[in-house]
Amino acid sequence: MKKFVDESWLVLVMGVVFACLLAGTQTSLEARILENQARALNEAIAEVVPVVDTMETLTVDGNTVYKCLDKEGNLAGWAVDAVGTGFVDKIRLVAGLSPDGSRVTGIKVIEDLETPGLGNKIEGEWADQYKGLDASRKIEAIKGEANRDNNEVQAITGATYSSTYVTDIVNDVIERVRPMLEEHR
Amino acid sequence: MAKEVSNLEQFKDGVLGNNPVLVQLLGMCPTLAVTNSLENALVMGMAATFVVVMSNLITSTLRNLIKPHVRILIFTLTIATFVTIADLTLKAYIFEVSKKLGAFVPLIIVNCMIICRAEVVAIKKGVAKSLADAFGIGIGFTLALSILGVVREILGSGTLMNRQVLPDAFLDGHTWVIMVLPPGAFLTLGVVVGVVNHVRARGAKGGAA
Repeated sequence: MKKFVDESWLVLVMGVVFACLLAGTQTSLEARILENQARALNEAIAEVVPVVDTMETLTVDGNTVYKCLDKEGNLAGWAVDAVGTGFVDKIRLVAGLSPDGSRVTGIKVIEDLETPGLGNKIEGEWADQYKGLDASRKIEAIKGEANRDNNEVQAITGATYSSTYVTDIVNDVIERVRPMLEEHR
Repeated sequence: MAKEVSNLEQFKDGVLGNNPVLVQLLGMCPTLAVTNSLENALVMGMAATFVVVMSNLITSTLRNLIKPHVRILIFTLTIATFVTIADLTLKAYIFEVSKKLGAFVPLIIVNCMIICRAEVVAIKKGVAKSLADAFGIGIGFTLALSILGVVREILGSGTLMNRQVLPDAFLDGHTWVIMVLPPGAFLTLGVVVGVVNHVRARGAKGGAA
């Protein structure tokens, strides 16, 4: 017993001291970290829903849906938080739907680890193509010129998989959430 | 290093003569993974510097109390603690960059460069020398990462610190995408290490080093 204490007291003491140090750091920084994450989400929502004054958070079929209201309290649109398979790791995005759920008002990727220079273009202007597409039909990512009347988006050259995965995530979440929006209106 | 070296020499040795990345070829994982822009390289370098400084400080302060056969455990415990602190701090203050660095900040824990400094210097030498060594190694690491970051960001994205530095004609579809991807890291590192070895070999011949 004495040998055990002799040899290990320092490890035990350091363990306790370091644990306190970490607890202190975590406590003092946690609020800031959560605030950063919330800000990233709010900015994404503001991009996909044209007018947002206040939001209500709902859970629809396992997905978090933000019901966005304008200044007068009228329904301005829906923002749906969705996660799905990507090329490298999971992709998390926010998809905006018009108040009646008929149109996609935009999408914004908020977390991804797609290939820099190719797949990570999904984070930028490329996503604007989704604005105004028909939410009642499947969206398709195709190579080459896209025909918007057929609900198509043009896949990123060299990143067809990333483009398809984003489209799949959007299709999947819209299909599951859209029929349920009516009852939350 | 049979003779005692001064603190300044110990510092310079880490930055140049014994640069962890370019000469010792340690810490290759972050070197290859996060140097696709100068910003990422600098942040990674500073985080690793913070960890190696704290690890050397604590190890050399306690060096007479640490029992030889539990030393690795103590090194790892110390490093893990400060890596976690660095990770939380980045998440709180530079959220965007920390998202890009992703898992590579927590992975500083297994950066052999840091444990190597504890084992080679901090467990044997005094606090001042260990700190000089840690700053030298940390700055040397940051410098090497930054060289890679500058080359890869300019050629791969046409920007530096996210500001455009090459003409529009280059950016419009002529960027070397490969430089941003993992092969670009290997190519750049190979060339830089080659140049460093060439210079060292010439220096040795001339008797200067």
